[in-house]
This record gives sequence, structure tokens and C-alpha cells, in this order.
Amino acid sequence: MMGLLTLVASEAAPEKGSTIEIGHHVERTWLGMTFNVDTIWATLVAGTIVILLGFWAKAKITQGDPDQVPTKIQLVWEAVVGEVTKQVEDNLGKVNPFVVPLAVALFFFILIANWFELVPSQLNDQTGHLLPAPTADTNLTYALAAITIVGVWTFGIRSKGVKGYFKHFLEPFPVLLPLNILEELVKPITLALRLFGNIFAGGIMLALIGMIPIWGAWAPNVLWKLFDMFIGGIQAFIFALLTVLYFGMAGAQHGDEHEEHAEDEAKTPALAG
Amino acid sequence: MASVTSQLVPLQSNFLVPNGTFLVELFAFLIMLFILAKYVIPPINKAMTARQEAIRRQFEELDEAKHEAESAGEEFRAQIADARHEAARIREDAREQGAAIIAEMKEQAQAEAARIVEHAHAQIEADRKAAVASLRNEVGTLATTLAGRIVGEALEDEARQSRVVERFLADLDASATSGAN
Repeated sequence: MMGLLTLVASEAAPEKGSTIEIGHHVERTWLGMTFNVDTIWATLVAGTIVILLGFWAKAKITQGDPDQVPTKIQLVWEAVVGEVTKQVEDNLGKVNPFVVPLAVALFFFILIANWFELVPSQLNDQTGHLLPAPTADTNLTYALAAITIVGVWTFGIRSKGVKGYFKHFLEPFPVLLPLNILEELVKPITLALRLFGNIFAGGIMLALIGMIPIWGAWAPNVLWKLFDMFIGGIQAFIFALLTVLYFGMAGAQHGDEHEEHAEDEAKTPALAG
Repeated sequence: MASVTSQLVPLQSNFLVPNGTFLVELFAFLIMLFILAKYVIPPINKAMTARQEAIRRQFEELDEAKHEAESAGEEFRAQIADARHEAARIREDAREQGAAIIAEMKEQAQAEAARIVEHAHAQIEADRKAAVASLRNEVGTLATTLAGRIVGEALEDEARQSRVVERFLADLDASATSGAN
């Protein structure tokens, strides 16, 4: 893949000799671990923006009478919080004081982080990207998925009890135990890699478009950035929605399934007869 | 196989393998989540609930006001209908009274006219009687005088004269009565 991209790049702009660097980060080593400084920096900026937006809305809310007409920033937050609350109520049966903030935070943070990709902050090949989309780094998406899945497991164990929760790995048949375990592991990995892949691919597309000379690049650039904005919103929405759905699945009582199976068993002889 | 893979994509630059950044991201997001969950989401929820409550209350008030207005309108309409009814009744009364007054007046006028006519008749009768009486007296004298002159003999005898006149008038009366019949 790298070779192909390098090939394309060298064909597109042979005189510059530039290549697209994939997964290249500004790295620092500390305590024997490698840290991607640009991702961390962009994460902090995105998180700060989200928190500032949140406090802006809060300031507008507490400013006056709650009966007053809401401001626009307040409406944005209220729309997201209200929608997430509705989803949580539909899927979990009741509002969970942890799931709603988690999903809201995931949505806003991923949205802002994804849209960093639209900011033309690439300085040059040496200093790198000033504000890369941090969601194009698996470190961030793995972290988000880890928080989500640990929360899901905790919620499942707390709502069903340890025994009840682990019993569901043997359902509907004990033979499916490996598949059930695999499912639980696939959930966070797909969460992380779906987000990463979309945003990362968007960045590669932008880099490729950047290879086109400027008189031809502007139209695909504008089109792709608009589309990328859409992708960024969709990915943030999907991540938050799937988080809520996973919580709902973890907390779901399997009584309904048993009833369905009972019905199936009752029907089968009749059909056979 | 592993060596081939690591040759193609060295582990250091494999973007699918997390490094220390993972831990930083984990804590960064947890801190952000904590701040949002503690300071931002609760007031937003509170404001939403408060506004929903306010809107619900306003709708209730609206319903109440509508109800009141409807009942007031109903009352108004009932009063209007009552007033109209009353007016019709008064008009009917007035018409009846007017008719009664007219009838009474007519009766009175007729009675008056009848009385006047009656009076006139009586007057005429009395006048006639008086005229007849005076005529009787005068005709007697006149006729006697006239006859005396024609006869040339003074019929000075009062009793005789009177008797003659009476007889004459009785004849006259009898002939008049038979003529009228």
C-alpha cells in the first residue's frame, strides 16, 4: 500500500519527489514508550473546544430564567443531549447517568476531532501536520473503544449480576461460547477501526488531491472536504449510537429471547406435522 | 511469515499497533468526560426539563383560558338570546296593548257618536213636540181668528172655540196617523 502510494505520488509530482507518509507522527519517547505528540496535541485542542462549547452553553443556560428562549449553542447541546437521552431510554429502558454523558461526549469529541481534517494546517514535510485529525490515529480510537467496552461490560455485570452476565455467553447454546466471546472482542475493535479507517482514508484522499497541481486541485479538494465533513459527522453519530446500542444489548434481559425460542419450539412440531 | 510482514511494515511504524499515546488519550478523554458529565450535561438537562415544564404549563393555561372564553361566549350568546326573546315579548305586548287601546277608543267613539245621535234625536223630538205644541196653540188661535174674520162673527166663546180646534186637530192627527201607517 505504501509502495503504491509512493508510486502514485512520484508519478503525480516527480519533480518534487514528495511521498505520502502514512501513519507518520511526530514522536517523542518517554519512559520507554513512544508518544505521538501531534495526536496528543490535537486531542487536547479538540477536547478543549468541546469543553468550551459545553461551558458556553452552560453559561447561556444559567444566565437567566430557564423559561427564556434558548440560544443557538444551547439548542445544539439540547438537541444532542435530548436525542441521546431518547436513544438511551429506548434501548436501556431508563436513563442511565453514565451512558448519556458518555455518548454525548463521544459524539461531540469525535465530531470536532474529525473536522480537524478540514483545517489546512499541514506546514511542510519536516514539521508535519500542526492539527491532524486525532481520530486518524488508532491510539485515540482504541482508547475510546476501550472506555466504551469497559463501561458496557461493567454495566452488563451490574445489571445482571456476575453469574447472569457470564451465563449469557453460553446462550442460546453452550457451543456458541467461542462466538460469544469473539463478539465481545469484536465490538471494541470494530468501533475503533471503523472510525480510524474512515478518517484515515479521508486524510489519504486529501493528500492525494494535494498531489494535483493547484489549478486542478481546488474542485476535488472542495468536494472531498465537504464529503469528509459529512463522513466525520456520520462517524461521530455511529460511534455514539453504537455505544448506546452496546449498552442496551449488555443490559437486555434474555427473557424475551427465551419466549421466542419457546414459541419456535412450539411451532416446529406443528410445521413438521 | 512474521518476518516477511515485519519487513514490509516495520512494527515501529505500524499504525494499527497502539503505543504510549493510547494511555494519554485514555486519560484525556476520561477527564473530558468527567468535566462534561459533572458540569455541562446536568444544567442542560435541567434547563430542558424546566422549559418542557414551562411549555406544558403554558399549554394548560391556554386550555384553561380557552375554556373560560368559550363559557363566557356561551353565556353571552344566552344573554343575547334572552334579550331578543324579551324584546319580542315586549313588542308583542305593545302590539296587543295598542290593539286593545284602539278597540277601546273605537268603542268609546262609537258610544259617543251613538250618544250624540241619541241626544240629537231627543232634541229633535223635543223641538218637534214643542213646535207641534206651539203650532197647536197658534194654529188654533190663528185659525179661529181667520175663521172669525171669514165668518164675520167673533167666536169669543173660549170653550167652544177650544172644542172646535181640538176636534179639528184630532181629525188631523187621525188622518196623519192613518197616512203614516
